[in-house]
Amino acid sequence: MNTKIKFLTFFSVLVLGTDKVLSQSTYQWGILPSLNLNSKLKKDWSLNTKLESRQIFQSGEVNGEVEGNYKYVQTDVSLIAAKKVGLNSRVGGGYLVRLKEGELFHRFIQQYNVVQKLSGFRLAHRFVTDQTFSASEKPEFRVRYRVSSEIPLNGESVDPGEWYLKLNNEYLYSTQASESDLEIRVVPLLGYDISENLKWETGLDYRASSVFKTNKQHSYWVTLNFYIEI
Amino acid sequence: MNRLTSTVLLILFCAYSGTLSAQAKFEKESRIKSKDVPAAAIRFIDAVNDKCKLKWYKEESLTGQSIEAKFRRNDAKYSVEFDILGKVADIEVTVDWEGLNDQLRNEMHSQLKSDCIDHQIVKVQKQYTGSESDLWSMLKSDTVSPSLTVKYELVVKCSRQKEVNLFEYLFNDSGKVISASKIIFKNSSHLEY
Repeated sequence: MNTKIKFLTFFSVLVLGTDKVLSQSTYQWGILPSLNLNSKLKKDWSLNTKLESRQIFQSGEVNGEVEGNYKYVQTDVSLIAAKKVGLNSRVGGGYLVRLKEGELFHRFIQQYNVVQKLSGFRLAHRFVTDQTFSASEKPEFRVRYRVSSEIPLNGESVDPGEWYLKLNNEYLYSTQASESDLEIRVVPLLGYDISENLKWETGLDYRASSVFKTNKQHSYWVTLNFYIEI
Repeated sequence: MNRLTSTVLLILFCAYSGTLSAQAKFEKESRIKSKDVPAAAIRFIDAVNDKCKLKWYKEESLTGQSIEAKFRRNDAKYSVEFDILGKVADIEVTVDWEGLNDQLRNEMHSQLKSDCIDHQIVKVQKQYTGSESDLWSMLKSDTVSPSLTVKYELVVKCSRQKEVNLFEYLFNDSGKVISASKIIFKNSSHLEY
């Protein structure tokens, strides 16, 4: 079986399986647009700035009543500096500030990326640790792992003027005030490479949190991501 | 918040003011359907390809356009390149490094040792160029005519001082280097952030 087909099959099973296991809880859906500015610096350094906003359109119980309608939730601005440490790997660190309900949350981020070029697609692994602080909540510590694939829909690699599929699967373990949680994210996206310096993607960002708890939470975000190289 | 916003904007301004732009090599490979392939290329492949699964590509670069047929046979990957009119240009076949003769390997190895502090050979391809009939025979029956020109294309992970990069080397059939060029990776920020 073709590698791409195997990967898509695995991913579909994962999406359907995750949804089945994590049913009967609360849900929310909305939009999660983001703008990424990336830049190459001297001596293998690079910089990523991200602006992301989250708005809920509806929330409630699964198979139950609607509890809320439109609500602006938060805006994040982050800055991550990274250095190439291998042929296709990068170590980075940065800071994110979140404005949520009039309060500021401060997050410090450390990450390691590896991007592999395989036959017909690219696969990226991201390992992240982060620490979030705010005036009203106890500090939150998280460990994250994400695997992402970029599958060109035309040719062996994505070139300007071509479409691609991007599939993300992420696992986030967090601990806050002696409580821990596991969140799983599954994100299928359709992307378009406008030019060497500009890409956009749209799709669904599905998140299942409180995986090991009775009241699980399902979030569905319609995303629109822009990546600009400057 | 105003002070924070100003600080963030100041950091962004300072960070981006000294940026460099990387020079990208223009090369675009697109999958095409067989109906868009020149008839001469189809005829050439039909005559030699034993019903292997075949993919056609159109490659555009600064030097022009070409058509490529890619397929697998006996665990080796074949790439047959044609010009835009369908005339065969060359054939590339992946080979095992260990399968090459010792003298050839030693020659190439000594070149890589002099260029790199440390190196790792990622891929080896044997490239054949020559007349259409010789290339046809080579592909049809693995008969390598002495009039065919044989070169070796190596993709090498090479460490130089504090940098690690991927290079594409081209060697002649006695292992003397013809060219070496740095492979520029496609941007991957959308996979990292």
